[in-house]
Amino acid sequence: MLRCIIVGYGFLGKRLARLLASGAIGDIKLVGVASSKGYIYKEYGLMPGDLPDDLRFLSILKPSPASELIDKRITDLLVELTPTNIRDGEPGLTHIRLALEQGIDVVTANKGPIALAYEELMGLAEKSGAMLLHEATVGGGIPLISLKNRCLAADELLSIKGILNGTTNYILSRMHFEEMTLELALREAQMLGIAERDPTLDLEGVDTALKLVILANSLMNAGKRLSDVKIMGITRITSEAIAAAKGSGMTIKLIGIADEEGLRVAPKLVRLNDPICVHGTLNAVSFNFRILGRLTIIGEGAGESTVSALLNDIYEVVKARSRSNRI
Amino acid sequence: MRVKLTLALSDRPGVLLKALEQIAVNGGNIISIIHRRDRITSGYVPVSINVEFPDSTSLERAKKGIETSGIPVMEAETLEKAICTILLIGGVKIEELFRRVHELGSRVAEISMTGGLTSPCIKAVIETPSERLNTILKSLEKLAEEQGALLITEG
Repeated sequence: MLRCIIVGYGFLGKRLARLLASGAIGDIKLVGVASSKGYIYKEYGLMPGDLPDDLRFLSILKPSPASELIDKRITDLLVELTPTNIRDGEPGLTHIRLALEQGIDVVTANKGPIALAYEELMGLAEKSGAMLLHEATVGGGIPLISLKNRCLAADELLSIKGILNGTTNYILSRMHFEEMTLELALREAQMLGIAERDPTLDLEGVDTALKLVILANSLMNAGKRLSDVKIMGITRITSEAIAAAKGSGMTIKLIGIADEEGLRVAPKLVRLNDPICVHGTLNAVSFNFRILGRLTIIGEGAGESTVSALLNDIYEVVKARSRSNRI
Repeated sequence: MRVKLTLALSDRPGVLLKALEQIAVNGGNIISIIHRRDRITSGYVPVSINVEFPDSTSLERAKKGIETSGIPVMEAETLEKAICTILLIGGVKIEELFRRVHELGSRVAEISMTGGLTSPCIKAVIETPSERLNTILKSLEKLAEEQGALLITEG
């Protein structure tokens, strides 16, 4: 049995913890869960009943930092799910470093550490022999990273182009179909819980840029940083511009592009019959491979579907460790 | 890429063959040759040759080879056109937009403006030789920056 801990107890953390505690993946024992208030730990495994919405009222809650749980003696796998911090990647970056240095495998949905310190973290993983899987950082449950690294590893990826942010795609779709202003579409998205109360990172294209850096570094060995991305968000898109695009059989989408000219995020005119022209909160990514040519993949880029990506990464760790007889 | 090469051939036997050799060795596939004998000036015959080249490097090599053979290349016009739609949110001076497009040997095929003065948005369809598309878009991006507008191109 692999002993697993989850650090970060928000929407994803709670959903995943309950699934693992219910035995969603054999050979995984959830032994600890940490939130910003402290952590709970049971050597013989946590049960679904040990996992209420708020950990604060549990008698077994230890009001200590999550780093105490990240210890090779008590855990084999860290699932890091603290909120994304684009300034310095903390506290996720410290958690992941601590785990990898000890040879603890890591699965994460946290974009900050992967976008800011990909090379360093992969170096640490290689040195200690640990695995670092991060499918859930980009495109929710769409298997973008595993698609290239497992199914198309021998082909060369020449470029990536896609819609990587569900919030802005929802807003632009509402502007296109309902002729709403950006302000109104944003307010509706906030009421539905699609947009955050502070939507700056989404609207200004920073979230798309972070995901683009992750894809370019992990699939094209681009060695890029967030500061290398030319970013333009959607804040200046007007109803008139959407209507003008519509009149030509097109619409406006926030597109991230990684190719030989570099990395950029900008609103682009997209033909309505283009495979990447998806609407609502959907994401779509078009890869261009040297031999295969163009391959487009579409799916939900956030929410419940991200849990699927996390489960699959955890399953990959279990499979790899059972092959190496570490279970 | 398809190109129309206009050469000034001296009216002597064998000169055209020299030019055709340079096109052939650089991978050019000749589609048609037109002698403009009606336009002979100072002993030179303008000859228009439509050629399909594999890429712009082959075209440049062929042009260089022809000129090295002593045959002046009067014009090399790309026959393939790119058509792209752009939006300028915030609006720009339309005459300046036309000027920048024209100075790069291209044309504004369609233009419309919506949003009035409060929320102007210009939509234009630009027709340009394919190889100049990036240069045109860079020039328009600069124009948008200078005039506080936002350029949106096809992606």
